[in-house]
Amino acid sequence: MFKSILSARMLSLLSLLVLIAVVFHVLSGGLFLTPRNLYNLVVQTSVVAVMATGMTLVIITRNIDLSVGSALGLVGMVIALFQIELFPAEAAWNWPLSAAIGIACGALIGAWNGAWIAFGGIPSFVVTLGGLLIFRGLAFETAQGRTLAPFQETYQVFGGGLNGALGEAVSWWVLVVVLALYAAGEFFIHRRQIRIGHALPLILRALRMAMVAILAIGFVFVMNAYDRPRTDIGRGVPIPALILLVTVLVMEFIARFTTFGRYAYAIGGDVDAARLVGIPTRKTVFWIYVLMGVLAAVAAVIATARLNAGTSSTGELLELSVIAAAVIGGVSLLGGRGTVSGAVIGAVIIQSLDSGMVLVGASSSVRMIAIGVILTLAVYIDKRLSKEA
Amino acid sequence: MQRKQTIKAALAGFLLFFMPPAIAHAELVVGMSWANYQEERWQIDERGLQEALSEMGATLVTADAQSSNARQASDISGLIARGIDVLAIVAWDSEAILPSVEQALAEGIPVIAYERQIEHPDVFYVAFNPIEVGRIQARELVAVQPEGRYVIIKGSPTDQYAHYVLTGQREIIDPFVADGRIEIVGEQWTDGWVPDRAQANMENILTATNDEVDAVLASNDGTAGGVVAALTSVGLDGIPVSGQDGDIAALNRIALGTQTVTAWKDARELGRLAARVAAELAGDTAPGDVTDRIVWDLGPNGVAQDAVVLPPVTVTWDNLDVVIDAGWISQGDLCVGVSENVPSACR
Repeated sequence: MFKSILSARMLSLLSLLVLIAVVFHVLSGGLFLTPRNLYNLVVQTSVVAVMATGMTLVIITRNIDLSVGSALGLVGMVIALFQIELFPAEAAWNWPLSAAIGIACGALIGAWNGAWIAFGGIPSFVVTLGGLLIFRGLAFETAQGRTLAPFQETYQVFGGGLNGALGEAVSWWVLVVVLALYAAGEFFIHRRQIRIGHALPLILRALRMAMVAILAIGFVFVMNAYDRPRTDIGRGVPIPALILLVTVLVMEFIARFTTFGRYAYAIGGDVDAARLVGIPTRKTVFWIYVLMGVLAAVAAVIATARLNAGTSSTGELLELSVIAAAVIGGVSLLGGRGTVSGAVIGAVIIQSLDSGMVLVGASSSVRMIAIGVILTLAVYIDKRLSKEA
Repeated sequence: MQRKQTIKAALAGFLLFFMPPAIAHAELVVGMSWANYQEERWQIDERGLQEALSEMGATLVTADAQSSNARQASDISGLIARGIDVLAIVAWDSEAILPSVEQALAEGIPVIAYERQIEHPDVFYVAFNPIEVGRIQARELVAVQPEGRYVIIKGSPTDQYAHYVLTGQREIIDPFVADGRIEIVGEQWTDGWVPDRAQANMENILTATNDEVDAVLASNDGTAGGVVAALTSVGLDGIPVSGQDGDIAALNRIALGTQTVTAWKDARELGRLAARVAAELAGDTAPGDVTDRIVWDLGPNGVAQDAVVLPPVTVTWDNLDVVIDAGWISQGDLCVGVSENVPSACR
């Protein structure tokens, strides 16, 4: 019965996540499953997870993007340069405009990658490896390696720091709106499936909706249970989590319900066949990279607001976490298969391992080994599952 | 007659002009091979080096390897061919540079490893003392927080410099740890010195210790930035935090009171020091007799070599004036957002 609600792959991912959480909870003497750690985990995951949603589409088309960490670094420096050095510090229009410039810069970066790959016919591995070097170098040049700080206070809320959460009351209201939208969505999908003629039995659908609702309510409850320092006032849902939620919904929608998204899967399945049936393969790949660049820029906003500084090394080596998240989440490097939410859970798994290891006092080398082992195991299990399916 | 003399003089001038200065003995020529002059820091070094050499009437010739081993090798060959009395090198790769070093030494040109150590017994090492950096950090934290629960946020595990800094830190705090006044409640390396990693590590250590942290030994200003961001999000900003480099953002944090100390390296001072050492080496001073010379054998391979090391400057809330007086930072940049407990440098 479970299988009709959740795919086998999703079920195995979630079990792995629960296993990791329980093991670290025990090993750390009850620190892992606390509101505080879960709050931190959500904020720490958001940067990688936002980019992993885009990486899913990139990998589905049988491409790769090695430049996302550097792109994040460059966009972060561009935002810092405009917001801190060029625009007046007190102006209210400063942060929206500098963030918008950053997003535009991300789109340009994506267009650079996408143009070479889609229209120049150069393998994505090469183009984005070049991009990794180019964008990191440009990030350095932006301010000659200086650290730029501090950002405007309003901008800092995107980082989920002291003032970067919704507060208790607003969190509940947001939950109500989100659940209402979700219920409406399920309703429309149900109607459509009835029209096509194979709808999920109503009881199962209700069960699934109840599960999602319980998880969402539990999430808000936990986030509200983490208090602001030296008070009884709950923090509520962190802004980066909200950004991530919106990103996941938009990207899931693009991947599952738009022709653009379905083109991506078709290209990954067989690029020649896709071209022969008239899918604009080059244009699709180009726009997927632009989307990836925009998402790297969104991640850059979160990362810089979180650190409250622009540094040229921000996001170094992050491309590896992003790709690993997608792969652990079941996105196949052979193309054509994988889901956005899977990649996000992959990101949560990586961050749980990373944070959990620090909680138990493990060194960074042990953390690297653990993440590497999980990466390999996850892909192995995934392969077994897809054979069974 | 008159005409002949003019021709002779012109000829002599002509010859003098083209004669390698090394043979002319007229003045000291120091060659400097930069690893990557694009980095802002080296331009400040060059200012000090240039100033000091001009005062001595010496000449500086430079080449920039632009982050390339091959280019640095050909740069050095070029400098030797041009004729220099002393060669200073900021090595892009301290291993790959060795053949070029051998080439210069074979020509009888003294070689100075500038700031980045080149492990070779005949190379003279001139640098800020990296171990002293760690000592300064720990000394200042211990001064304001002589007991309690400490966290160490270390630098990149693959960078020898991070190990030097840690050595200095441990030298000062180990006695405190031994008699129980200080307890180390968490320590993590920071891969690549990346500030956001330091931030995530610090957040998780704060969770593990339930915020019971009294001071943080951060190894440089970048990681200190990550640490302070993590502390701010739980309302702990203001506890003692260390750093190094004198980053503008870090100096501002010191003025604001969210960072305690930065070990500041005034690059111009190092440039001046190198000029002095170069002059002594080009004169008749044996490497072992250079003023303030010590033997440095703390590198990864333990090679003993002559060295002069410069102590970094301790910069805290009390003496922020030094960075303004040195022209390192403007008062505006230093004092952004400072409203209460204003340091004298901001008045």
